Amino acid sequence: MMLLCLLSWPYLRRHLLRWILTVAGIVLGVGVFVAMHTANRSIFRAFDTTIGRIAGTTQLQVSAGEFGFDESILERVQSVPEVGVAVPVVEATVDTNIPGQGSILILGIDMTGDRSLRDYELKDADEAIIDDPLVFLAQPDSLMVTTEFAERNQLAVNSKVQLATIEGNREFTIRGLMNSAGMTRAFGGNLAVMDIYAAQQILGRGRRFDRIDVRAKEGITIDDCQAALKAALGPAFDVDPPSARGRHFEALLQSYSTAMMISSLFALMVGMFIIYNSFAIAVTHRRSEIGVLRALGATRHQIQTLFLVESIIAGTFGSILGASVGITAALVIAQWISSVLETAGGVAQRVSELEVDPTLIAAGVIAGITTSVVAAWIPARNAARVDPVQALQKGKYQVLSMGENRRRRWMALTAFLMASVCLLLSDSKPLFYTGYVAMMGAGLLLAPALTLFLSKGLRPVLRRLLPAEGTLAADSLVEAPRRTSATVSALMLSLAMVVGFGGFAHSFYSSIQEWMDNALNPDFFVAPSENLATRSLTFPAEISSVIERVDGVDQVQVVRDARVTYHEVPVMVIAIETEKVASTVHRTPVAGSLEEMNRLTAEGKGLFVSESFATNLKTKMADVVELPTPSGLLKLPIVGIIRDYSDLRGSLFIDRSVYRDWWKDDTVNIARVYVRKGQNVEAVRQRVIQTLSSRYRLLVLTNREVRDWIMKLLDQWFGMTYNQIVVAVLVAVLGIVNTLTVSITDRKRELGVMQAVGGLRSQIRWTVWIEALTIGVIGLILGTCLGAVNLYYTLGMIKRDLGGIGLDYIFPSAFMMLMVPIILGAAWIAALGPGEAAVRGSLVEALEYE
Amino acid sequence: MVSLTHVSKIFDGKRKATALEDIDLDIDKGHMVSIVGPSGSGKSTLLNLIGGLDRPTSGDIQIDGENLSELSDDGLTRVRRDKIGFIFQFFNLLPTLNCLENVALPLHLRKWPRRKIEDRAGELLNLVQLGHRLEHLPDELSGGERQRVAIARALSVYPPILLADEPTGNLDTKTGQEILKLIDDLHAQLGSTILIVTHDSEVAERCSRTVVLRDGRIVEDRRQ
Repeated sequence: MMLLCLLSWPYLRRHLLRWILTVAGIVLGVGVFVAMHTANRSIFRAFDTTIGRIAGTTQLQVSAGEFGFDESILERVQSVPEVGVAVPVVEATVDTNIPGQGSILILGIDMTGDRSLRDYELKDADEAIIDDPLVFLAQPDSLMVTTEFAERNQLAVNSKVQLATIEGNREFTIRGLMNSAGMTRAFGGNLAVMDIYAAQQILGRGRRFDRIDVRAKEGITIDDCQAALKAALGPAFDVDPPSARGRHFEALLQSYSTAMMISSLFALMVGMFIIYNSFAIAVTHRRSEIGVLRALGATRHQIQTLFLVESIIAGTFGSILGASVGITAALVIAQWISSVLETAGGVAQRVSELEVDPTLIAAGVIAGITTSVVAAWIPARNAARVDPVQALQKGKYQVLSMGENRRRRWMALTAFLMASVCLLLSDSKPLFYTGYVAMMGAGLLLAPALTLFLSKGLRPVLRRLLPAEGTLAADSLVEAPRRTSATVSALMLSLAMVVGFGGFAHSFYSSIQEWMDNALNPDFFVAPSENLATRSLTFPAEISSVIERVDGVDQVQVVRDARVTYHEVPVMVIAIETEKVASTVHRTPVAGSLEEMNRLTAEGKGLFVSESFATNLKTKMADVVELPTPSGLLKLPIVGIIRDYSDLRGSLFIDRSVYRDWWKDDTVNIARVYVRKGQNVEAVRQRVIQTLSSRYRLLVLTNREVRDWIMKLLDQWFGMTYNQIVVAVLVAVLGIVNTLTVSITDRKRELGVMQAVGGLRSQIRWTVWIEALTIGVIGLILGTCLGAVNLYYTLGMIKRDLGGIGLDYIFPSAFMMLMVPIILGAAWIAALGPGEAAVRGSLVEALEYE
Repeated sequence: MVSLTHVSKIFDGKRKATALEDIDLDIDKGHMVSIVGPSGSGKSTLLNLIGGLDRPTSGDIQIDGENLSELSDDGLTRVRRDKIGFIFQFFNLLPTLNCLENVALPLHLRKWPRRKIEDRAGELLNLVQLGHRLEHLPDELSGGERQRVAIARALSVYPPILLADEPTGNLDTKTGQEILKLIDDLHAQLGSTILIVTHDSEVAERCSRTVVLRDGRIVEDRRQ
């Protein structure tokens, strides 16, 4: 404690900026960690809240994926002896047409029976409804909304609301305001209840329900009721507690969650390097102080403890601050991801508040402190090993010792060999990841030696550019590799992360582009909603023939798709008119023959699957897929594997005839329209709109609009890549400012001499700027190389564990070219402060500086 | 050549310290002047002010008719660059540059052409009898050799004024004598105005004029 007060505190006060930069490294790491995990948790909680609130006292839910099932199933469920209450539900999100409100979750329920499962706590309502729900039923335009929604939009009982339905925009009358603390929190308060039969009509359900909510009879356990229902209904139906939907949602989000976790771990590692750099420099600068302490009798243990305690203090302060920053950022991140999920996944959830987990915050703080201590361990150990005699002499202590250099190289070589062996045996998951870690470790171990090598290599170039300023800048790097290498390592790691994500994004974009060129080639698409991922609205089958009769239309292909749970994994079943599609879509299968695949599927003798389905479900050609349907178990062999991005978890393609036969459903989600050669596409499109708009609410999207929608979705998904760039830039700035503040202290006399012999202030600034830019260049070179390796492993990881998507290795050259000015710009910005500091202050003091 | 009028320098710190008080001094062109006095008398401060490394608290300093107090920091630097050569007690050579590069540094800062720089640097090192050590780094040289390199650097543009702050303070007696002889020879050869700060009376005896400082004031001004 005494040493802390006598030595650490004065040092901290003298080098406050450096300490702030050290702490900033921890803040960055912990902040990203807390923000990402809190956002994730908040999204899950929002979804669970919506599910749970809407479920009320429901104990089990009967469903058949997103396809729904015929009304007749209700009677079968109600006839099961263990069932106490069984009520049907139709659920969908629709646009409100109210500015700023976005979508609203429609719950279609049977008012006569539903109130035994859900309590709406009507605050204000038509008096008649409270007493007799049949009054509500008698008015098919009736709607109940939450008090929150009403207050937000200045609505009251008997107000009118317009909703976008399959029949076009329809006006509804609010007949009740729900005050239930439960219901009102679902979907952020944007919830409306209506009669189920009205809902079936406006959502195009025909005579189908989405699910049946069940409560077991008094005295019957949930497990017994579940078993009885499964036995009565067969494998075509899922019978699960409401919470099971949360698990499915989690599976859908899994790849995104994992990516966020990796991102947060990277941020912590990068923070670790910044901390290591700071403490290593501090130990170097305080050598003589340490030497004096040792000469006066301080033990090695006391010296080491001193530095570790400093790291704990810095870690604690930085972690608490980082956690605060993370929580602040989490809501913004959660809302952004939430909107992407709603758009891309058609998943109804709305994040309006944060779910802060004290355990997670504590974990983040502990991780930050641990990172700080781990990062400071080696410098603290080195401090304890300082020889008092040598420490009190002047000398080159910034140079890496020969022994240290050799040790690192041997360790790097060992790691590289281990990674190479693992590469050969990469079918094994543990070996793949071991190889990944070993390879990255080899790169980091080599960073100091490579930094020195590149600094020496760049010296002649800098000398030629600016003989005085450039030479001194290069010499500063060459003479003090210890000072520079940790910053370069942090920058290298950060850029490797950027290349990994950027390369993944680039490859994915390329693959998506290819997929769109091959598979999404109709002239326009007819859809029931702007959100092409929405499957809750459908058209009747007749729409195909209606569109075909429009002048100029050559061919119409209708598609019905919906998500089902297959072996605990949510996958997309896509019913297509195979023969028609085969005539217009030509793509190279990953496995199987295109002709054979199309023929067998059209004949109903097989199905083809996406590559991600095959990887995630561990299936291959000729494996038999057993799909639960309302008519029983549909068994079809896999006759082809293709690259498809309709659903990232996996998709299966069956013929529409098979779908109609087994699901007893004639509806369609999307109509793909091809225009006759020579016809004006826009003119035909207008004719389709005119023909259909009086009968249906529809959107006719051009091929370009659909592509733009998909690309916009991708941009949102990969928005995280830009966050990585921000992290990389912050790392560059933090690390370089840290290094330069030390550099100008170390070079104080040298810079003073330069001024004394006639160097102008601008020339002094330039030597500092050049040093920063050189660090940026070295970081870019090494980061690009490590990034190229990281990209290989990233794509492998994605294929194995994050969605099963197979992507070609395409190095993102254009992206990296963009990073060059960004990183060099950041380096220059980082150098501005130190550059000014270098020219300020007393020249006399500088010349006398030791 | 050098003219100081009512120059004072007070250092602001926890306590104010008066380093120089009301100094009036005129030094003619081509003279070799020693500035002597005990430790803390203000000798180095006086030299730093004349050399434009620091600014006086009050008073004026003129170098070749140019008033330093009216100049900006870059203006001071230009005066230092073009008119003044500095020789420091601890040499202040840059350790990563060899002899030729150290001598060439001021010329690079002036953006001279490369060939001209090499020629001038080589010429200067020959002048101080170190033409055979061009590629050597400072830590490969003896103290005397380092000071010779520092002198060569100070002469890079043959400045009219040379300021030497205890040039032999860090050298043994014999080497110190050699350096003083070199400075003498250069003075005779080049006709520069030379100011030497020293506490060594032997050094002072070599100069045509000795200015004695005590407690920040000129107490004696002897001409030999």
